[in-house]
Amino acid sequence: MIRIEKLEKIYKTEEIETTALNDINLHVKEGEFVSIMGPSGCGKSTLLNVMGLLDKPEKGSYHFMDTELLGLNDRERANFRKRNMGFVFQNFNLIDELTVFENIELPLIYNKIATSERKRLVNEIIERMNIVNRSGHFPQQLSGGQQQRVAVARALVTKPKLVLADEPTGNLDSSHGNEVMELLCELNEAGTTIVMVTHSSHDASFSNRIINLKDGHVISEKMNKGRNEELI
Amino acid sequence: MFRMNLKIALRNLWKNKVYTAINIGGLSIALAAFIIVVLYVNYETSYDKNLPNYDRIYLVGRSMPDFKTDYTPAPLAKAIRQNFPEVELAGLTKNMGFEMPVSSDHGKIFSSNALQVESEVAKMFDIDPRDGLPANDAGLKAYLPRPLYKQLFPKESMKPPQMVALGPSNGAQAEKVSGTIDRDDEHSNLKFDLLALGNDISFGDQDYGANNFKTFIQVKKGTDVKALQEKIDRLYKKEVVKAGVSPTDRRIAGRSVIFLDPLKNLHLRPAAGSDANYKVVMALFGLGILVMVIACINFTNLTIAQATKRAKEVGVKKVLGAYRFNLTFQFLAEIFMQCVLALIMGLIVAEILLPVFNNLFSTPLSLWRSNTTLYWQLPLLLLLITIISGIYPALVLSGFKPAAVLKGNLQTSYKTLWLRNALLAGQFGIAIIFITGLFIVNSQLKYMRTEDTGFKPEQVISIKNMVLYSQPWSFRDVREKISKIPGVNYVTVASDIPDGSKAGTMNYKIDGKEASSDFLYVDFDYFETLGIRLKEGRLFSWKFNADTANSAILNESAVARYGVKDPVGKTIRGCDIDYKIVGVVKDFKSQGFQTAVEPTVYTIKNPCGNFKTKIMINVDEQRMALVLTTLKSQWSSINKLDGDDFRYDFLDELYGRLFKKQEQLQAVFFFAAVLTIFIAVLGLFAFSAFTTNSRIKEISIRKVLGATDFQVLKLLNTYFIWIILVANLVAWPLTYMLAKKWLQTFAYRIEMPILPFLVAAVVTSVLTIIIVSIQAQKAVRRNPAEVLKYE
Repeated sequence: MIRIEKLEKIYKTEEIETTALNDINLHVKEGEFVSIMGPSGCGKSTLLNVMGLLDKPEKGSYHFMDTELLGLNDRERANFRKRNMGFVFQNFNLIDELTVFENIELPLIYNKIATSERKRLVNEIIERMNIVNRSGHFPQQLSGGQQQRVAVARALVTKPKLVLADEPTGNLDSSHGNEVMELLCELNEAGTTIVMVTHSSHDASFSNRIINLKDGHVISEKMNKGRNEELI
Repeated sequence: MFRMNLKIALRNLWKNKVYTAINIGGLSIALAAFIIVVLYVNYETSYDKNLPNYDRIYLVGRSMPDFKTDYTPAPLAKAIRQNFPEVELAGLTKNMGFEMPVSSDHGKIFSSNALQVESEVAKMFDIDPRDGLPANDAGLKAYLPRPLYKQLFPKESMKPPQMVALGPSNGAQAEKVSGTIDRDDEHSNLKFDLLALGNDISFGDQDYGANNFKTFIQVKKGTDVKALQEKIDRLYKKEVVKAGVSPTDRRIAGRSVIFLDPLKNLHLRPAAGSDANYKVVMALFGLGILVMVIACINFTNLTIAQATKRAKEVGVKKVLGAYRFNLTFQFLAEIFMQCVLALIMGLIVAEILLPVFNNLFSTPLSLWRSNTTLYWQLPLLLLLITIISGIYPALVLSGFKPAAVLKGNLQTSYKTLWLRNALLAGQFGIAIIFITGLFIVNSQLKYMRTEDTGFKPEQVISIKNMVLYSQPWSFRDVREKISKIPGVNYVTVASDIPDGSKAGTMNYKIDGKEASSDFLYVDFDYFETLGIRLKEGRLFSWKFNADTANSAILNESAVARYGVKDPVGKTIRGCDIDYKIVGVVKDFKSQGFQTAVEPTVYTIKNPCGNFKTKIMINVDEQRMALVLTTLKSQWSSINKLDGDDFRYDFLDELYGRLFKKQEQLQAVFFFAAVLTIFIAVLGLFAFSAFTTNSRIKEISIRKVLGATDFQVLKLLNTYFIWIILVANLVAWPLTYMLAKKWLQTFAYRIEMPILPFLVAAVVTSVLTIIIVSIQAQKAVRRNPAEVLKYE
């Protein structure tokens, strides 16, 4: 599904150049759950941003379902992103001025889905996420775990092929964190491809494959046996 | 989508109520000021604009080497009409220039602006009597504006023509009013309260030597006006020679050049006159634009200062697939909404302030009455302010990089910092100029109101009178009757009253030295009535018979002008009479404070024109009311020839009108000072909020490292105090120069005060400390642990 080759990303400030990603090669198969781990500053978030078309690398190629994405302009990237990808962030990033329902509805509006269909889809996902009685609340009225559920719901409502999660449990306590991880696993089992950046090896243990980054290089890649067996 | 954006916008505005109020409120106040200025500029620049041939009407004038005049000889209009086919219409007007009562059996009006107009000019100015233009006959026909006619003939049945009496009933002249005119001349260059309309108001006058008429022409479309001007000039010179005028007149005509002054310039910047009004209008317009632009920039700054709060929204929307264009449009629409609100509030504020403005500038401005210009200007203005104030924030906000803002790393740019600093300094600089200016204008006005003018107008009444009392014996009877009224101290009559009006000028000669001097014809008790002090010699007195024949009194300036020592007893010659100087009086400021006291010669005998008609009475203040009622009831027997109406003014009020311009200026400065300081404070508020927000991390780190709250407050304040200091240093010399220039227009003025500069500095500094501390307080109170958590 994803084929990244010889990817290079350099951050330039006035005086120094920092190589955030250096010669990255990465393949993700459809239906996989991949964790990216590594110390702070290793480039894992940058890699995720590149995969989510939020950042442009200097060199390399990025194929998504056999389409080369690196040559696209901003508009094409936005179009591709809204049709194929969902995002979950560490700090939830819900819009404070919109209710739970409206937050989840937002991506559907950008995808130009008709009102009645939107309503149906949002209600469906709200039910699935078990937040029905919260749909009229504003984000500040929810607990962290509930907010992240809303954020996941928002990422999934468009039925994306790929979900990108950036430390989804980083701001949650362990029980809420586990809840979210279980949610992601369920999704994965239902067929959604997930790429997750995490610090926590506990979280990573939920995935099929763990990729370790250091200083912009992939230093190791290992299959998560337990999880894979489960899959079989 | 729109509904969702609207919700976000409204909830955001509501959440940040204070900012919203400041943002919209600031803009609406500036808009109110701007709307009033635009109304005023529209009004002042559109005199006669409703005339169908507005662009093709010109006033003919003559340019002499040292001055320009719009008075032209009588036959010129006809000559132009006969010689140049490109001139459609040409005609004369003449102002009769004196005040007289017009009465009927049912009412009375006082006409002070009777105008003779030829029918061709009437056509140009759309003056169309309700009862038809005069036919092709020779005479003049009199018309009255409808409201005035109504006062004379109130009943519907009293249709024109009707007979009226011109002048005082004793010796009135019967005149026929042929009709009425439905015309509001308030907004026209041609003003009249009595119109004498005729086909030829010069009555065949062929004199090219006397210039007593104004000549208006209307040209055909596409006429080369410059060429026409030259042709008329040649015609004029040819005609002058042909008419055989005196050599002096011929010399004058030869040196003068004809010019054509377009109608659109006549009100504000006539070629034969001053363009001061035009400058005032343009300066006000400039000020209005300046205030508006600064307010828009403030709006921008306030919005940008709030930007961090919207960053997440932008990031999320972009991640979810919004295009940058969508977001730019969304923010512009949001700002447009706020601008609409501001405009509505601005209109309300303008409506409230208009009466004050109208009162001050004697204008009839209104938002509602026939303001088609404003109706297309307002939407344009709305669009403009939306773009000026909105485009930058919309671009900045929609340009946020989602990858960065969603991580919470919003770096606000310091690139435009110098620009912001300069802007803030500029805003305060302007405010300082107005604050300082206001205090200086105040001081000068206070000086003018309290400083000794050399005479005492407070208890003097000036009576309107048309009877000529040029001979001392002719006034004796009136004087005696008035003097008998208890409470009357002195009575006199003179050719002028000290209300700023310019007296006549003549050449006088003392000891062989000839120089020009003002002259004033007075009667006994003139100096006593006005409380003017004697310096040496004596005042005019009944005891000296010669006083009515050839005695003169000079003022100090006249003595200085002629450079005589011991003037009393010397002879001064003027108007073919040798006067004996009997006394010298102290100078008094009859012309106000702007011009220096002119050398003046006072005599009772008036050999050279200038009739004595201005009666002045000095009254005991306690008995003023009584004296006035007595005068009113007895006036017809006192002033037998013009005793129908007792009309008077208090001399101090007439003199006070000389200050009107300064009072206007004071009011403009007051409003400008309030407005500019208000806007500057908003700017400071926005800027300090922005700075504090972007330095919040630094502040937290400092606090963690042990900085006290006071140290942080000081840190944030110091930065702004420097800017304000710079603003003061820049504004001071500028204000000093402008104020000095203004003060130099007064012959009698205050020394440049230092205090206003210090006051401006203190006011701006204190305001700065208050505003910045309010903002800084918020930052100081934040828990550093919370701020630094996500680092």
